[in-house]
This record gives sequence, structure tokens and C-alpha cells, in this order.
Amino acid sequence: MKSTKAFLASAVLMMASWLMFTGVSQAEETGAPEKITVVYGGSSWLGHYPVWVGIEKGIFQKHGLGVLFQNFYASSGRMGSLVAGDLDIASTGSISAIALMASGSKGFMTFATQDSYATVEGLIARQNIKTIADLKGKKVAAPFASSAHVLILDLLEQNSLDPDKDLTLINLKVNEMPAAMASGEIDACAAWTPHFNNLLNMPGNHLLADDTAFSLYKQYGLGPGPDIMVVRREFAEKYPNTCKAFVKGYFEAVDLLIRNPKECAEVLVKLTNLGMEEQMSVLKDIQWIPGAEQRALMVEPGKFTEGMQRLAEFLVKHRQIDAAPVVKEWVAADMMP
Amino acid sequence: MTSKSNSNLVFVSLGSLLVFLGLWELLCRMGFIEPLFMPSPTQIIARAVKMLDDGSLVQHTLASTRRVMVGFVVSSLVAIPFGIFLGSSRFFMAVFDPFISLLRPLPSMSWIPLSLLWLGITETQKYSIVFMGSFAPSLLYIIEATKSIDPLLVRAARNLGASNLDVMREVILPGSLPQIIAGLKVMLGIAWTCIISAELVAAREGLGFMIMNGKEYFQTDTVLLGMVMISITVMIIDVLFRKFERRLLPWTRQ
Repeated sequence: MKSTKAFLASAVLMMASWLMFTGVSQAEETGAPEKITVVYGGSSWLGHYPVWVGIEKGIFQKHGLGVLFQNFYASSGRMGSLVAGDLDIASTGSISAIALMASGSKGFMTFATQDSYATVEGLIARQNIKTIADLKGKKVAAPFASSAHVLILDLLEQNSLDPDKDLTLINLKVNEMPAAMASGEIDACAAWTPHFNNLLNMPGNHLLADDTAFSLYKQYGLGPGPDIMVVRREFAEKYPNTCKAFVKGYFEAVDLLIRNPKECAEVLVKLTNLGMEEQMSVLKDIQWIPGAEQRALMVEPGKFTEGMQRLAEFLVKHRQIDAAPVVKEWVAADMMP
Repeated sequence: MTSKSNSNLVFVSLGSLLVFLGLWELLCRMGFIEPLFMPSPTQIIARAVKMLDDGSLVQHTLASTRRVMVGFVVSSLVAIPFGIFLGSSRFFMAVFDPFISLLRPLPSMSWIPLSLLWLGITETQKYSIVFMGSFAPSLLYIIEATKSIDPLLVRAARNLGASNLDVMREVILPGSLPQIIAGLKVMLGIAWTCIISAELVAAREGLGFMIMNGKEYFQTDTVLLGMVMISITVMIIDVLFRKFERRLLPWTRQ
């Protein structure tokens, strides 16, 4: 009796092991995702729209994936969580990504740049400030270590103004800017959408400059903090099929945003809490970059990656980071469509 | 305890610190700890040298010290007379007790939204965060110090013809002062814990700002340096405070 039980137990164990092994082999052969849940770091910022659309429209599900959308207010928190292993994939502002590269961390890679926006971020000032030169002696606010901060530093440099001597540059979060502008505590501020739109709509304010005035925009079509998609290196190495499925689903969502923004706006309002009209207005100002263009932008000829390198050097010049990393070392060409 | 055994203990403390730092450095150099998550002591020292060289470390330290000291001194100047008054009067203690109980558990960070509305993004807003973070605990400490005066001493003074003002000046104040000063030393440490909250908004210098800015750029060595500077600054202020205490309260000298 005992020996029969032992024999049956061994047989069941062997059968289970064989099934598991063939299951894994089949996954490898057919390209099915090894891991079916991807933890994604996002927020209500426009760079995360494709993932939200992909989730809500069932696009990722079609490719055998479930994507868990985790909200983070700031790119730095998102990137920190990515390298710490709490996130698998994220979109981030390139300032944070470059800063993390500069710290020497090799725990992540970049595989896409999904959007270009130049008119939803900018410097807003009171009506009496007509030019950048008029900012001399004034109080200007920006969230430090952000694309808006980089924009201000660049605009001041273009106009030979020293941010430490010629004016008072104040570190302020974008959601605190309307109150500071209304009370007269600041004379100008740099922000991104939707706060950018709110500030512009305030009486007495006007647009002084947007991202099109950024020095690298003219040469590379690059704003001061373009969005990029990043993946945890360990995750990409361990689950290549999952990453492929994610990238496929992701760029299908990008294609849908290009083809039918209205259909996408209907689900995006749940993420952004904007009205339909405002959501459509934001979508109108975004240029989405499809999958077919990624390799050219990031690898060969790699104009976007080159632009990121110039941005890194800009950050060194303005003492935001110690040394410029070699950005192309973080580009994951094999993840691109 | 003899001075020789005191010096031995100092050596033991120094020794344990050096062993800890040595081990930490070794683990980093051998690759067991990733610099992003925990930079080595030499990396932190290198960052300190760089920031001393460009003057930013001193600038940040002085800015935070100013904010903490202003907030703390104002908080103490209000808390000391008010605390002695409440400690001496059961009636007024009962009047203010509910409000003190409401204020006491509130962390300094919770005052940021209101302070922005009331005071804007000025330096006063930052002083107010330190004030609110240290006022209620200081007040409670002073109330307890006042209440701990032996009532026999008060009765003896009154029997000898002392007025209320005399009792306050000759019995309560000198009696409670050692405990008040001891409490204020502790509260100064608490005031420093408010500096991160105070410098979260509209600060472009200060150790709290330095820590948060370092976090944004993944410069963990800058973050740790900021924390170390806060500790060192508090230690220096503590030494100065003790000298001031010895001068003010010579009768407590052993």
C-alpha cells in the first residue's frame, strides 16, 4: 500500500514537471508572454496616454497581457521605483532618465520616444513683461529639476541673463503657481499642461515663450524634457516575449491616438479628469510618433538620441548633474518595432 | 567616573564609528552595495569637498540654520511665558487644554497648505512651519516643568509675605528654569526635523532643499550629505546651548 502511494505520488510529480517544462518550451517557441502582468508607472500626463488607451480599449489584453497602471506624481519617484524593482515599464521625462543615467545606474533601458509637444508647456508672464529681457529683477517660478526649469535656464541663457544674479528663480510646484501669480508674489512662471492652460487663462497673464523657443528644438525638434519609454533591464532580459507583446500593444494604441483621437479622448477623460473639449484640445497639440519611426529616431541615424546627449551636456553646463552620460548605451534597439 | 575612564569611552565611541565607516566603505568598493542606493563614505566626502569649494554647502547650512533658529526662538519666546502662566493656573489650563491637545499631534508638514495661503511663499512661511512644528511640544514641556515645582515652596513663600509676582520671580521661574532649558534643547532637535517640510515649497537654498533636489537628480550622496550636515549642525548648536545653560543656571553646575 505504502509503495503504491509512493509510486503514484512520484508519477504525479513527474507528470507535473513534464507539463511545466513543455509549457515553458511552448511559450518560448510560440512567443507567448512569459509574464502576463506588467506593472506600469504613469500619471495623468500626456506621455502616458497610449498605455491608458491600450488598457481601456483592450489592446494589451488582445496580446495576452494585463497592464497594471500605477500612479506617480513625479518622474523621479517613478524612475526610483523602476530601478528598485517595483515597476516593470514606465514613461518618464528625459530629465529624470538622464539624471539616473548620470548616477551610473544601468538598471533600466529606453526603447521609444512616443510624443512631441511644444505648445503645451511654456513660460507665462504678466502683461507688463513683454520679452525675456524684461524678466531682469523679477521673480520667476519653476519646479526645479523639471523640463520647465530647463526651459527657463535655456531662455535666460539665450538672452544673456544669469539665473543666480539677474533675477530671483523660485522653486515652486506647478499646482501652487496660480495662487502665487494671483497674489502677485511671482511675476512669471514655467509650467506644463493642464496647469499651463489654467495659468494662460488667468486675466493679466500672457504667453512669453513655449517649448518651440528651446534651443535644442530648433535643431533636433526636441523639447526641454521629452518623454521616453523605459523598461527595467532585468525585466527585459528575463521576459523578452512579454516586452515584445507590450511594445506591439503600445504602438497599436499610439496608432489609434493618431487615427481616432476622439475615440481615445472618451477613455482618457477618466485618467485626466478634463472635459471632452479640453481633452481634445490637448490631443490636438500632441504629435504622436509611431513604432515605424522609432529605430530611425533612436538608433540610426539616431537624431533623438543625439538630441538627448546635447540635453545631458546642457544639464552639466548648468550644474544640474555632474557629468554627461553616453545616452546611446541605454538604448534598447532590440525592443523596438 | 574619572576623567581617564571618560576619555576611554570617547575612544570607544570614535572607534566604533570608524569601524562602521570602514565596513561601509569596504562593502561599497566590493560591489555589495550599489552607489545609487547607498554611496560610500568617500563619495559623500567628495561631494562635501565639491560643495565646500563652490560655497554652496555653507550657503545651504546657514540658510537652514537661520530658518530653524528664527522659528524656534519665536516659538520659545511665546511658549515660555505662556507655558509658565498655564502651568500656574488650573483655570486657564482648562480653558486652553482642548486647543493644545488638537495642535500637539499635528506634524509640521500638515501646516504647509494653510501657511501658503496665509503667508504666501515668503521666508515668513518657512519660519512659521518651524514655529508650528515646535510650539505645541515646547508649550507642554514648559507647562509640566512649571507644575513640577514643589507646592510647599510656593506656600512657604506666600507665608513669608511674597506677592504673586514675587512667587513667580523668586520661586517658580528659578525652580522650573533648569527643566525648561533641558526641554528646549530637545525641542531644538524637533525644530530641525521641520526643516524638510519648511523647505519643500519655494526654497532655493537650505539643507532640506539640498536633500530634495539631490533626490530629484538621483544624487544619493547629496541626500546623505544633507542629512549628515543636519546632524553636525544640531550637535554644534547643542554644545553652544550647553555653554549658555551653564552661564544662565550656575547653581545647577556640579
